[in-house]
Amino acid sequence: MPKIMIPTPLRQFADKKDAMEVRGTTVGEALAELTAAHPDMKKNLFTDEGKLRSFVNVYVNDEDIRFLEKDKTPVAAGDTISIVPSIAGGI
Amino acid sequence: MIKIEQEAWRLMVDHAQKTYPNECCGAMLGLIEGDVKTVRTALPLENAYPGAQRERYELRSEDLLVAEREARKNGMDLIGIFHSHPDCDAYFSKTDLENSCPWYSFVVLSIQKGQFHHANSWLPNMEQTEAAKEELEHPHA
Repeated sequence: MPKIMIPTPLRQFADKKDAMEVRGTTVGEALAELTAAHPDMKKNLFTDEGKLRSFVNVYVNDEDIRFLEKDKTPVAAGDTISIVPSIAGGI
Repeated sequence: MIKIEQEAWRLMVDHAQKTYPNECCGAMLGLIEGDVKTVRTALPLENAYPGAQRERYELRSEDLLVAEREARKNGMDLIGIFHSHPDCDAYFSKTDLENSCPWYSFVVLSIQKGQFHHANSWLPNMEQTEAAKEELEHPHA
């Protein structure tokens, strides 16, 4: 099964787990499974409109899903889904 | 609160002073125990902002993915991000806020005329509308 790696600050919303195996066959399904199992995770990842928050990027293995098929990006056994922050700034 | 250990602090200040007059950026790795975050090491990362880096920084997500993996490999956590403000105070600017992530501590180092001056740590909120000052403990530069 694909595995979602949970960033440290979000583990408090996932029973302290650092990863979760999922059955979903796309990134969208996998994330839906994660937030269904751990509802408090949802507001951290998605806006009220259901879109990924601006500071959230998702990778399948080493690939950013924005450059693949976004939430329809397929995932399979052995794939690792990573939730990575998007960060910038300035004076 | 967030405590930064000696070696991590040296790496952060060195990176900020070496990249002056541009902004630097990097990741802080360590441990969280209760309300205390301890930064054990820092990963200086490249400022990927394509324009004037005296005023802006941008972290590549790929670099943060590597930082996260590095942390896990060493039994640590990615607990924060640092960047510098050349010849400016260590406030959390509107640009910082609008491009922040509420999951992490953001340490800002003020570099004045090429030398470390002071630092603050900030905790932005989910809506990216405000940031609270976090108690910061670091060695003398």
